[in-house]
Amino acid sequence: MNKKIPRWLARLFSLKGGMSNDAMSAPMLDCESVMRQLWDYLDAELTPDRMEMIRMHIEMCKRCYPQYQFERSFLDAISARRRTHSDPERLRANLLAALQSKGLSEA
Amino acid sequence: MQNGVVANEGTGGRDHQFRVEALRWLPEVTRFALSLERDEANADDLVQETFLKAYEAWHTYTPGTECRGWLFTICKNTFYKRRTREDRHVSCDDPELEALAAVAVHASAQQGGYADLFTRFDLSDAIDAAIAALPEAFREVVILIELNDQSYESAAALLDVPIGTVRSRLFRARRLLQEALINHARDAGLVRSRLNAGISGEESR
Repeated sequence: MNKKIPRWLARLFSLKGGMSNDAMSAPMLDCESVMRQLWDYLDAELTPDRMEMIRMHIEMCKRCYPQYQFERSFLDAISARRRTHSDPERLRANLLAALQSKGLSEA
Repeated sequence: MQNGVVANEGTGGRDHQFRVEALRWLPEVTRFALSLERDEANADDLVQETFLKAYEAWHTYTPGTECRGWLFTICKNTFYKRRTREDRHVSCDDPELEALAAVAVHASAQQGGYADLFTRFDLSDAIDAAIAALPEAFREVVILIELNDQSYESAAALLDVPIGTVRSRLFRARRLLQEALINHARDAGLVRSRLNAGISGEESR
C-alpha cells in the first residue's frame, strides 16, 4: 500500500499525506488511499467497513467525488454493452434437441 | 461419495440433476458466449457445444459445487480451442498504480471539458470496438467482470491466475478503454482536440 508514487501523479494529487480540506471530517482515509482503492470500491470488492469508509469520504470530498462520478459513468457505459440473445427460446429448444440426441431424457 | 450416489440413481436421476443444476445457467452461459463471440450464430454454436460437453462430462461434476463457473470454464476453453490463441504474455503495472493512473485520465477529461463524456454521448459502437481491440489477456477479464458479473475471485479461478493478476489486468484494461474512447471522441469531433495531454503513454508510465 505504501509504494512510491510517480512524480507526475504526486503532482496531480498534491500529495502531502493528507486529504483535501473538504474531506477533513471523514477521518482515517486520505484522498490517495481512496483513489488507490476506487476501482475495488466500485466493484464492491472491499470489506464492508472499508466500503463504508470510502463511501463516506467520497460523499464529503469535493476532489474525489467527481473522480468517482467519472469512473462510475464509465463503468455504467461498459456494462450497458451486455448483450442479450435475440431468440432465447429458439436457442433453448435447439439445445434440448441436441442434448436429447445425445441421450438426455425428456423432462 | 456424491458422484457414486448420482451413478446409482441411473440415467433418469443424472438427467434430472443435469437439468436442475446445469440448464438453469443457460441464460448466463448464453450471455457469456455472446460476449466472447460477436456473431450470434457462432455464440449459439458455442453454447450448444458447451452444454453437450458438460452433459458428457457430467459424471466429473461434483453436485452442489459452483456449476456456473464449471460451465463458464468449459465455454471459455471451447471458445479458445476454436481459434488460435494470441500471445497472452502481457506486462502490467502495479494494480494500485493503474488505479491511480485513472486520476490522470479524469484530470485530463476535466481540463478538456469532457468529464461527462460517458453520459453525454452514445459511445456504444466505440465501446464494442474498444473491447474487441483489447489484447486477449485484458479483454477476457473485462468480459468476465464487466459483462458477466464475475467477482475478482471467480475470474481468477476461471482464468487460473492469481487475484492480483486479475486486478492488474482489469485496471489496465479500463485505462486502455478510457483512452480509446477519448481518442474516438476526439477523432469523431465529439470533443475538442488537445485532450490526451496527461494520458499519453510516455506520461502514464
